Amino acid sequence: MTEETTKSEASAEKMTVLERCRMNDRSALMKTMLYALVGAALYTILQMIPHPFIVLGLLKFGLLPSLTIIALVGAIRGPTAGFLTGYLGEVTYGLLIHNTIVTMTLDAAAFGVIGLIVGLASYDLKNGRSLVKLSILSVTGLIFSTLLIVVIAMKVEVYGTLAILGFEMLPLLTLGIPTLMFLTPVLARIWAKIAISLSPAGEKAH
Amino acid sequence: MLKMISNNKFFVVALVATIVTAGMSFGNLPTPSPPQGVQVINGVTFNFSDYPFVPHESLALFNYLDTIVSSKYQGYGEWEGWYAENYHGLHHYVLAFMDYTVSAMFEATSGYRTDYYREFAYDLIKRMNTTEEEWGENSIEYKEWTHPEYNYVDYYYPNNASDPNAVYVGGWRGPANIMWTGHYALMQALYERNFNTGEFIDELSWFIKDWNLSLLTDRHGNSKEGGLWGVGLIPCEPYIVFVQCNSIPILTTALYDNMMGTNYMPMWDYGLNFINTVMQDQYGLFMDGYYVDRPTSIYYNTERLPDTIPGPAQSLYAKDGRCKVSSYCNGWALAFLEYIQENETIHDYPIFLQHFKKDISPDMAYIIDTYNNPTGFGTFDILGTLFTMHLANQRGDYALRNRLVNFLYSSYNKIWSSDGRRMYYDTLSIEPFMQPVLAFGHIWATNPVTIKDLGDARPAEFWNYPYISSADDDNIWVYQAQWDPNKSAFILNIRVDRTATLTFSNFDATPTAYFGGTVLTQLTQAADGYTLTLSPGQYNLVIM
Repeated sequence: MTEETTKSEASAEKMTVLERCRMNDRSALMKTMLYALVGAALYTILQMIPHPFIVLGLLKFGLLPSLTIIALVGAIRGPTAGFLTGYLGEVTYGLLIHNTIVTMTLDAAAFGVIGLIVGLASYDLKNGRSLVKLSILSVTGLIFSTLLIVVIAMKVEVYGTLAILGFEMLPLLTLGIPTLMFLTPVLARIWAKIAISLSPAGEKAH
Repeated sequence: MLKMISNNKFFVVALVATIVTAGMSFGNLPTPSPPQGVQVINGVTFNFSDYPFVPHESLALFNYLDTIVSSKYQGYGEWEGWYAENYHGLHHYVLAFMDYTVSAMFEATSGYRTDYYREFAYDLIKRMNTTEEEWGENSIEYKEWTHPEYNYVDYYYPNNASDPNAVYVGGWRGPANIMWTGHYALMQALYERNFNTGEFIDELSWFIKDWNLSLLTDRHGNSKEGGLWGVGLIPCEPYIVFVQCNSIPILTTALYDNMMGTNYMPMWDYGLNFINTVMQDQYGLFMDGYYVDRPTSIYYNTERLPDTIPGPAQSLYAKDGRCKVSSYCNGWALAFLEYIQENETIHDYPIFLQHFKKDISPDMAYIIDTYNNPTGFGTFDILGTLFTMHLANQRGDYALRNRLVNFLYSSYNKIWSSDGRRMYYDTLSIEPFMQPVLAFGHIWATNPVTIKDLGDARPAEFWNYPYISSADDDNIWVYQAQWDPNKSAFILNIRVDRTATLTFSNFDATPTAYFGGTVLTQLTQAADGYTLTLSPGQYNLVIM
């Protein structure tokens, strides 16, 4: 697995689209799919666990650990795996736990955007600056994801603006931003440690 | 150490921020469920998950409600802690639906019938019946009826006092205030069903007979098809009939017949046919209001009036002659009428969801007020969601029930008392009046017994079953308590905070309490039954 995270940022700039998406050959594609499936499964499991939150005035703060999985998989295995983790994870969670698919899975695709955006860059996960970059791109992904969800709610599902803002957009941002900004780099760093320890040569991981 | 921190500054900051955020927000996590074990005693298997179960949080919410309802804390016309000062016309609904909620909760632990529960139900009825003479502007009579904004006080049917055929139908307790009389009577009926005291039977019987008169005659002594108002239903506000308001006296009548062995239900045949054939929208769901005469109150919006009266209330949004529809009307009526016309509810439920449900996310959905205004959002969307939570629970649609609960309760903190006995959802920053409503609303949505289950009277032999007649209620949490007549054993799932004594009535001989399949202790004979004293702990007991 550490092999997958050892591309330098310089060499990443020269990647083709397929290479960046980690789909440049059958083996890479299979690994990407495996990461996506494992990520989706982890996302579903974390979504099933009630997440902690606190309401301050009209705003809801807390942690949504499932979101970090999307960002992490994107950071580790690229945009395709990141996108699929969010998309498949959200669809699986809806189907398995709540017996429902929301808005033809468009919302799920919006969650995948977090992984897509995070996956577009390369990271050295034990480097502080890279973790900052991961934080920023995760939050950027969340903002895009939230905007997409709002547009889908207004244009496809069609319901009250107040409901969209109060029950969807604001909670997603106030829970998601602290989660992605703080928890994602923490887990990414832990992942990097694990990856190094699992690597036979103690290879540098990023 | 310092060097390590210095080399990992961002990681350390992120870690600390994560810990702080998580640490601040754990108070809203769900309370773990108490265990429901399996025991084998003398070859008989007792699986606690086979019996109804009241969750810990429901009991904590009830304990909170007790502090604002019980006469131990304030008089029947006092409203400390209700945050209802700025409202009128809503208090009696809150009291009534709180009563239906706790009645269903009491039924789930039907073997736990101490004064703690009985007095709560009794105090709700007394609160519902506060008169202006005694409590002035704090009374339900004033808030629901004589408040000057309504202009409900005196009226006739037809709406012309000089008409010699006009019948006076005014008055708070009069024939046409079904939005109070219906609820008050059902509260009394449920009290008698659950506690069998006989105290309210006479007053309840008076209401039933008065409805019978209105529904089958012209109130001049002549029989009349469709009754006084010609629709087989009873109006409120005071010249509109509502399906939801009438569902309450209909269920009351069915329960009354079941308890008393009478046969008043046929008086509703015309009205039930009317709501199922005439009071229907384009999808076959219930319309929200049908005018039987031209209204007088200042609350009537002339845009709602149909071209000809009698006729359906008009949609304010469609403005094309379509009738007014609402989710709260359908959520309420479909739930309360399921006992009477189960097939209608089963048929309409998916149609109702198709036109009223909006998906927020996989774990959240809400019910819009009306499909004629899907982009609006306000009080009636919340109300529709509240009513549909119970309907979904009753229909066994737990996936949707949970999604609606998530939607409604995800914006509030749980506030626990310092001793951990009481809990409520803090709505002060959004709408304080919602606080008691959301407290019983959560029980309303999640209780294993629903309003449909309360239509049947209890069998006569029920009153001979062993039950807990008194207890140190402040020291215990009773999650399961009922007599199993098939296995002749009392099932008790209880948590004891401080040493508590429970008194059981109706045991013929000294019973033994079993815990984990082995004998825990024999109960002790006392003057009023057999007592069981328990030390602090969690118990799944079989007593036989």
